[in-house]
Amino acid sequence: MNIISSLISLMFFPAGISLILSGMLYEWADRKLVARFQNRIGPRWFQPLADTIKLLSKEEIKPHGVNNLLFYGLPIVALSGALTAALYTPVIGLTPTYSFQGDLIVALYLLSLLTMCTGLAGWNGASRFSIIGATRSLTQLFAYEAPFLLALLGPAMAAGTWMIKDVSTYAESHWMFISQPVGFVVALIGLMGKLELPPFDAPEAETEIVAGALTEYSGRGLALFHIGKSVELVVAISLVTAFYLGGIGNPLVFLLKTLIILLFMSTLQSMLTRLRIDQTVGIWWRFGALLALLQILVIVLLKGWLS
Amino acid sequence: MTTETSLKRATEILAPFSKGNANPETNRLDVDIEASDLPAATSALMRNQWGYLSAITPTDLGKEMNKLEVIYHFCEGAAITSLRIHLPREDQPDIPSISDQIPVASFFERELGEMLGVHVVGTPDSSRLFLPDDWPDRVYPLREDFSVEQAAPVVPRATLPEIGRVGNKFTVPIGPQHPALKEPGHFEFSVDGEIITGARMRLGYVHRGIEKATEKRNWIQNLYLLERICGICSHTHTSAYAMGVEKLAQVEVPRRAQAIREIIAGLERIHSHLLWLGVAAHEAGFDTLFMYSWRDRETVMDLLETLTGNRVNYSIIVLGGVKHDIAAEHSRSIHTALDYLEERIRYYLHIVTTDASFLQRTRGIGTMTLEEARHFGALGPTARASGLERDVRIDAPYGAYHYFPVSLITGENGDLEARFEVRMKELLVTCFTIRTLVDNLPPGELAVRFPRKIPAGETISRVEAPRGEAFYYIKSGGGESPLRIKIRTPSLCNWTSVLNKAVGHQLADVPMLIAGMDPCFSCNDRMITVRRKNDLQTFSWSQIREYGIRKYAAVRELK
Repeated sequence: MNIISSLISLMFFPAGISLILSGMLYEWADRKLVARFQNRIGPRWFQPLADTIKLLSKEEIKPHGVNNLLFYGLPIVALSGALTAALYTPVIGLTPTYSFQGDLIVALYLLSLLTMCTGLAGWNGASRFSIIGATRSLTQLFAYEAPFLLALLGPAMAAGTWMIKDVSTYAESHWMFISQPVGFVVALIGLMGKLELPPFDAPEAETEIVAGALTEYSGRGLALFHIGKSVELVVAISLVTAFYLGGIGNPLVFLLKTLIILLFMSTLQSMLTRLRIDQTVGIWWRFGALLALLQILVIVLLKGWLS
Repeated sequence: MTTETSLKRATEILAPFSKGNANPETNRLDVDIEASDLPAATSALMRNQWGYLSAITPTDLGKEMNKLEVIYHFCEGAAITSLRIHLPREDQPDIPSISDQIPVASFFERELGEMLGVHVVGTPDSSRLFLPDDWPDRVYPLREDFSVEQAAPVVPRATLPEIGRVGNKFTVPIGPQHPALKEPGHFEFSVDGEIITGARMRLGYVHRGIEKATEKRNWIQNLYLLERICGICSHTHTSAYAMGVEKLAQVEVPRRAQAIREIIAGLERIHSHLLWLGVAAHEAGFDTLFMYSWRDRETVMDLLETLTGNRVNYSIIVLGGVKHDIAAEHSRSIHTALDYLEERIRYYLHIVTTDASFLQRTRGIGTMTLEEARHFGALGPTARASGLERDVRIDAPYGAYHYFPVSLITGENGDLEARFEVRMKELLVTCFTIRTLVDNLPPGELAVRFPRKIPAGETISRVEAPRGEAFYYIKSGGGESPLRIKIRTPSLCNWTSVLNKAVGHQLADVPMLIAGMDPCFSCNDRMITVRRKNDLQTFSWSQIREYGIRKYAAVRELK
């Protein structure tokens, strides 16, 4: 019985199919918003789904000289990493399916798995564009990962727990984007870095390196990576919303909050010019990491002083 | 300095090498020299800072003369000095290279070698620039006895070395098909990590053999052929050609027609620069600016369509004048459109000079000093952004620019930001010029009668295209079609600066650097068509006509 309910929660709800579909809807909302900002009409609501179905049904071309296991395995690992992370996060305003002390760290690492897989896939791709893309993906990972982690540790430290569920419960009575505004901003921008959205899209800058690390992927592999990315979008937005914008609460209100975050991200995407990879790293380590550290320091000092 | 004093100076400088001088036109000096004197003559001109190398014209004079002619054109202001060299008409006669003194000559020499079969001694790169890889060796399209059968494709030889990993260095190929390039070209950048250590280039992927084709068509047909060199600055090519042919035929174009030509040229400049702004912004990853500028560009496209009936190949020029008039209601719609455009252009000027995230990608990138711009032979806005005062409309006014002068816009820093700024400011000046022209259209005829046959002679006509100086050398034998037309488009001269400045920059800056000079591939490439046997993709003239008739009959039936 336990196995069946686990399977259902992994395959259909809340992770699995429903998560993938909601990821596509978020992706659509993002694309539509950016399009409207850019004075375009934008895609119809089912476009991400249509894209995915098209990709899944297309021929997968394997380049010469790549490792088979890695080439076919990496997309699956990447997607399952993102899907598993969803089990510990309050996606779509629901209580996490599983919880244990320290699941925050696990979820964050599972989210990074996608980037790691992209990097490996690029390195395995045996193409110059994908190798440069992989280098940039991993460089960027080292740039935003620490600040993003610190930004999410802030609320956890304030709540005094490493469990996502408990942090969100604590957040329901403490709106932490007011008490930790710096962390909130770093988390939001870290989110954009994590999802490689403009201006942090140097790893897949089409005018320089075609499609970056995934240049050699086509068909199913590419579709899986894309699905993984839209799942990651939902999971990461849900995490930031739950931590900083008043916990889980009402699912409808929660959805609205995530959409506000999405709106903010789309605005930034259409306002800014792509950063070079050295500029990205510079921004994160010169400002992002320092600000997040400062935030943590303040929390530690305040907690000590209050107790 | 006036044109006369310029030419007098050139005569004095070149006196030691001269085997005969001529003044074919008031602004031109022709000096016959020996091939062996070429480097010395060039260095004498360069030492005295006389002008810049504008083009090299290779011509086959034919069996009777039994000579090849290579002309080196130097321009200073309105004055043009041509160094004329005659070579024996044999396979691969020697001519010394001048690339060590003038870097841009390297491209001209590659073209010279492959097109006319001249061996350029000491040129740094003698690989093919325009001809396809499967073109047979020792077949030179510009020779008189060239026939299409000779050009049967051979097994392609790799003109570029096999690319791979050398130590820690990569070679990153960009093109012929690449998202950064909207047109085909091939670049090889060797990179060390993200830093560029070397750059090479190969063109010719859309080579259509237009220069050669002009020799088989009459003067009027060529007007429409040359218009199709470029989809962006089509008007530039027709006006340069028409001006040259009119000069040869000694036909005076009515002033009203001249003014209308300049109005269209101005509108074309607006459309070209706005298009460029969008492309350049896209290369930087700033797609919002891209979408906005292309939306606003539609205003000027619609205007061009209203005035000429066409969006791209306006086809408003006829030899001896223009086809369409600009009536009072047109001038009202021009003013309305310009009101909107001027407001938008001011806004874009504000964006490209103040937006912090955009400036991160343009300020201090690809900086070219005034000396470098002069040394690399840069042209147009690319040169003017470095403070080099080079603009044909001002240096050698033509057509309506005699009566409606434009003001020169130059930048100081020579970086990408300056190139954005110069182009946007240039647009404001252009808007002002168009308004003045529209309000003060001289009365008169639209066109005058034009002869079918053009008297023998040769002339040079230069026009300031949106990208810089376009150079036309036109030679008539007195018949219904030209003997030789040599076209040198501005993009070819600007490549040197890009390839040289790319070294030391980051790979991420490369698309921006390439876009910064506003390259136009189709106007670089225009020399060869190959008709293969049993090739279903190739049509003969009658086949394509038949196909067109069938297609439109089918369309009509559908309606």
